Amino acid sequence: MASTAFRKIDIDAYDEEVLIESELYDPYPYDPATALSAAKQKQSAVRSSLSKGDTAGALTAVLEDAPYGPDVEEAKMVTLQTLFNILSSTKATDIPPIVKSLSTDAQDSLMKYIYKGMAMPGWGDVSGSVLLTWHEKLTEVAGTGCIVRVMTDRKTV
Amino acid sequence: MSAPEVFSLAQVPLTAHAFNADRQQVAVSLNSNDAQIYTRSGSDWNLTETLSEHDKLITSIDWAPNTNRIVTASQDRNAYVWQQVQDPNTGKLIWKPSLVLLRINRAATYVRWSPLEDKFAVASGARAIAICSFDPENDWWVSKLLKKPIRSTVLSIDWHPNNVLLAAGSADMKARVFSAYIKDVDKRPSPTIWGEKLPFNTICGEYSSPSGGWVHSVAFSPSGDVLAFASHDSAITIVYPAAPAVHQNTITSVRPYEYGPNGNVTKVSTTGVDGKLVVWSVNPVGSVTSKLGGMHLR
Repeated sequence: MASTAFRKIDIDAYDEEVLIESELYDPYPYDPATALSAAKQKQSAVRSSLSKGDTAGALTAVLEDAPYGPDVEEAKMVTLQTLFNILSSTKATDIPPIVKSLSTDAQDSLMKYIYKGMAMPGWGDVSGSVLLTWHEKLTEVAGTGCIVRVMTDRKTV
Repeated sequence: MSAPEVFSLAQVPLTAHAFNADRQQVAVSLNSNDAQIYTRSGSDWNLTETLSEHDKLITSIDWAPNTNRIVTASQDRNAYVWQQVQDPNTGKLIWKPSLVLLRINRAATYVRWSPLEDKFAVASGARAIAICSFDPENDWWVSKLLKKPIRSTVLSIDWHPNNVLLAAGSADMKARVFSAYIKDVDKRPSPTIWGEKLPFNTICGEYSSPSGGWVHSVAFSPSGDVLAFASHDSAITIVYPAAPAVHQNTITSVRPYEYGPNGNVTKVSTTGVDGKLVVWSVNPVGSVTSKLGGMHLR
């Protein structure tokens, strides 16, 4: 039988004009270790903000410079956990003013995490109804444009 | 706002259209290989001419108002310039095509005449923009390709009023500003805020769409000092090329500086930690923001 090994050749490697994933967006500026320690630092900062009842501040802190990209999985999971702590400890009536106080960038970022949470059913202690409530309130404030931006963005959290 | 005028030209999709100078004629492509010219009579449009030369779908049409020339671009990788001449036999005016040597190997997607109408730019799926100018010696249109650093199909272009700079939006999620300076056609352009020395294919700016969407549409402001583009990530980005160099640090306060006749703010002033006081013109932003709902502006 003829050899089929040629089928496994990565022909893109020989194409000078091939477009690779990393060219599509700016890479996350920090290495995995730095990102992880930053995420853990934020986690403790968020705990103290939450104990003071400052949910909006806690949320802004997490969503700012959120880790993205393929190399920082651990930091992403820590951030996700931190964020879910905030989401599930907020009363439904408090959500609209908090969402309104966020910048558009932070709103987009929050939407990314909500979708990520929905894609991981049963992970951690977050419930679907909490995510759906946040999603509803966030869409009311930020509009469907926010969802489109999250769907197109390759800087996944 | 007065009600829009609605004309039903055909029962098929229209892929492109361009009006002539007095807007009494319009060239449209009825999702086909032909471009049709309709002439207005009252509230009707009558088909007066059909331009057939392309053998694939026409993607874009532009009609130069002063020189009265039409350029069509098509998926057959060609562009034609149509010029009105007298038929030697009948004496009637006919549209005569001349082929343009585009040298692209993918569909042409978008075409626009330059402001002086001595050049036109053809965007294409070949990761290139063909800048075409007339070569009187050989009596045909020749092209020079803008290639680097375009990584994907170019979807839209817009000329800067100085006839040299060209903005392009592309499916690699970036909008770029290029120099399309052709030595034998253009006079040396005076410096703009996009740059001073502008040999062909100078990249004067490269801007990513914020959440990584195809850039579907680009446009310069009438002054040419501001660039705006719309992208598939539900965002409009407005670029002030001079802006990053203005404030070197945090902006501490913003105040209205000057009001227009209708009471709108036309200029604002800002101060920064860098010790600078800056007066900005907000016109280009305001005219856009007043029409936006849930859009995202940077």
